[in-house]
Amino acid sequence: MKLRDVLFIALIIFVTFILLIPTLLGSIGATPPGDLRNIAKLYLYLTYNIFNKSFWTASPEAVTAIVWDYRGLDTLYETIVFYTAIIAALMLYSEILGQRDVVGGIGLSFIVKRGFSIALLAIIAVGFSTVLHGMLTPGGGFQGGAIVAVAPVIALIVFSRKLFDYSKLSYRLLVALRSLALTGIVLVPLIPLALTLGNGFIFQNQVKTLARFSYPSTIIDVPMGGSLLLLNLFEGIAVFTAFMLAFIVLLYSEDLSKKPLEGEDIGY
Amino acid sequence: MFLITIASLYLNIAISIYGVIAKPNLVKKFIALTIAQDSINTVAILMGYRVWREAILQPPILLSWSPSPKDLQDFMNRAVDPLPQALVLTAIVIGLAVNIFLVSTILHLYRHFKTVDMDEISKLKRGAIVEETA
Repeated sequence: MKLRDVLFIALIIFVTFILLIPTLLGSIGATPPGDLRNIAKLYLYLTYNIFNKSFWTASPEAVTAIVWDYRGLDTLYETIVFYTAIIAALMLYSEILGQRDVVGGIGLSFIVKRGFSIALLAIIAVGFSTVLHGMLTPGGGFQGGAIVAVAPVIALIVFSRKLFDYSKLSYRLLVALRSLALTGIVLVPLIPLALTLGNGFIFQNQVKTLARFSYPSTIIDVPMGGSLLLLNLFEGIAVFTAFMLAFIVLLYSEDLSKKPLEGEDIGY
Repeated sequence: MFLITIASLYLNIAISIYGVIAKPNLVKKFIALTIAQDSINTVAILMGYRVWREAILQPPILLSWSPSPKDLQDFMNRAVDPLPQALVLTAIVIGLAVNIFLVSTILHLYRHFKTVDMDEISKLKRGAIVEETA
């Protein structure tokens, strides 16, 4: 090991301890906290408070309420980051997007294929149930979408590349589906504003003192969380299609993936 | 016990940052970066944690769909801080999307230069530039 490396490691350890000391002295509050911060108490108290409906979200799940209602605008911008990152990844392979791969393949054995076919349904069912119950139990659009996105990756290995090349769920359809879901995410917060002719709020979920618009708070007797369900559903579809698109592009065969590089003289 | 947890999380972040800076291999850099992401998320979750007391026996959820004021008060006294969880949840998904972008960039570089070693790549680039200007 060179002297430079030793010095570097010593510096890292030194900086770690410098950062650790204020934490241990209580700069981010007592660790571990014995009690909650006031803002956390407020969120927990108001999210499903049927006695004071001016700040409630009709969802007993406080995390989803924060993600899509109290801090909804935050999440909208995070969705934009997510959208941009995936688009950037797709742009690197823009020349071959949507093409059929040059190599075929037959996939794994019959037993694996049949076994996975059953598991595939279960994965999709668990994913969508996580999405649709986001306002009741831990879960929601992000988590459910990520669960469903596992299915196409395993399907690609089990059934080989041919499954995607000849599937009805083509590249174009996935992009269209994703754009529709993202349009939905943009429209749901704007609908209260449009329907009340400017007297509502952006990202308004339940009725407020000055704005009388409200998304339905229950179905029969189950809390529905108003706009939370719609936003979760759209986000779930957006996350699933985004990951599926990314995996389809990343897992192209070497021969075809080299095509985007061919036309470049220097390439960097 | 918590002292060890916090110290090890900080050390984890430090080691992963060392990995990102010092390792020339892009895949190793990427792995170090994901470890840093997860460690930072764990620190954020730890900030919203709450010490489990013997007196708290009920689960930290709202037990009724038509809660009485006492139910709401109990829920508030049992639950952990939801705010760091909400932030970490979105951070994980954004991290995943950024990771996909990084992976596809690394793959692109590998296909172009036939190596993922940063030192080798800069050497090759230098060679190409010298060749071009000569």
